[in-house]
Amino acid sequence: MEIGAELVQGLKYLAAGICMGIGAIGPALGEGRIGASALESMARQPEMANTLLRNMIIADAIAETTGIYSLIVAIMILFVV
Amino acid sequence: MSSEIGKDLVWRVRLGPLSIAFNPLTLATALGVALLLLLLGLWLRRGIPRDPEARPSRRLVLLTAFLEFVDRQILGTMEEKTKQNLLPFVATLFLFVLASNLSSLLPIPGLVAPTRDLNVTLGLALLVYAFCHIYGIRTKGLLRHGKSYLEPLPVMLPMNLVGDLGRTLSHAFRLFGNILGGSIMLAVIFPILVNLVVRFRWILGIFFLLVGLVALRALWRRGKKKAFYALGLAWLGALVLLVVHVWLPVLWVVPAAFLIGTGAGVVLNFFFGLFAGTIQALVFTLLAAAYIQMAAE
Repeated sequence: MEIGAELVQGLKYLAAGICMGIGAIGPALGEGRIGASALESMARQPEMANTLLRNMIIADAIAETTGIYSLIVAIMILFVV
Repeated sequence: MSSEIGKDLVWRVRLGPLSIAFNPLTLATALGVALLLLLLGLWLRRGIPRDPEARPSRRLVLLTAFLEFVDRQILGTMEEKTKQNLLPFVATLFLFVLASNLSSLLPIPGLVAPTRDLNVTLGLALLVYAFCHIYGIRTKGLLRHGKSYLEPLPVMLPMNLVGDLGRTLSHAFRLFGNILGGSIMLAVIFPILVNLVVRFRWILGIFFLLVGLVALRALWRRGKKKAFYALGLAWLGALVLLVVHVWLPVLWVVPAAFLIGTGAGVVLNFFFGLFAGTIQALVFTLLAAAYIQMAAE
């Protein structure tokens, strides 16, 4: 009977998974780059480590934004739509 | 537990045409955290000696260490005057977000971190946004603060406004998404782990028996006869249990699932609760300080 509704439900799960999976690639690459360069700079200038750590966390948070957006979209697909 | 995600207890209050929804759990936890911090503040305040020349008490040292941490790590390289103006607000924000994030670690059934609710984080982000404007107007004057929206060119006004909106929204969503994501992971991983243990109990049993064999061999080599015989007896018992487990899986699958669940619970709660909670509180406060500083310049 309700083949259409079940299909929609299944597609929702698929959409949420794809959304989160693809959305996580960008922040992962970005944060990896940020962490790598921050570590490199810290190794070169250990006396700057405190400032670098602070700026690294801010840059991480900004790079993470798109991942958080895709998480919100995935949650909305699952529970709200 | 995983079936509870996305479903919250909600109270609705109708005020004429408005319908306002409250989440009582979030509200109670947030107020509890605030009360706790208030008590902590009063307790620390009472520990400060009247005479500034006197030997510093423990509470004074604790307070100084915390404020110094905020001053150095969060406010960083700002000017002294800006630092002095921002320190109370930023320190309070950090403590509240930190305590809210960590409150989900308390083993109280039904308790959730207040920052898992978008209403709380959006409220905090709007508070920071309002503080940005107030501080900008107070330091630069209304005219120059308004003029900063027309820079570098008057054409950029819509971009600046959208930037403000996106900044505030992402500020709120970042904290909310991180804490909610962590709690979803915690809720989802436990059933998966228990399911895996029950499904692959043969492999797990054989693995444990192999580990037992290695331990037995080590004991035999060191010449510890007594321990060897005791462990060997236990090993034989475990072998018998594995063979009869088709009839009595409860005997060792349930303890194994319990043990693995407890161990995984410690690790996961440490990572998603303690580590991520602290980092996110730091990130939230750092960004708030950066936004306010940008508004003041």
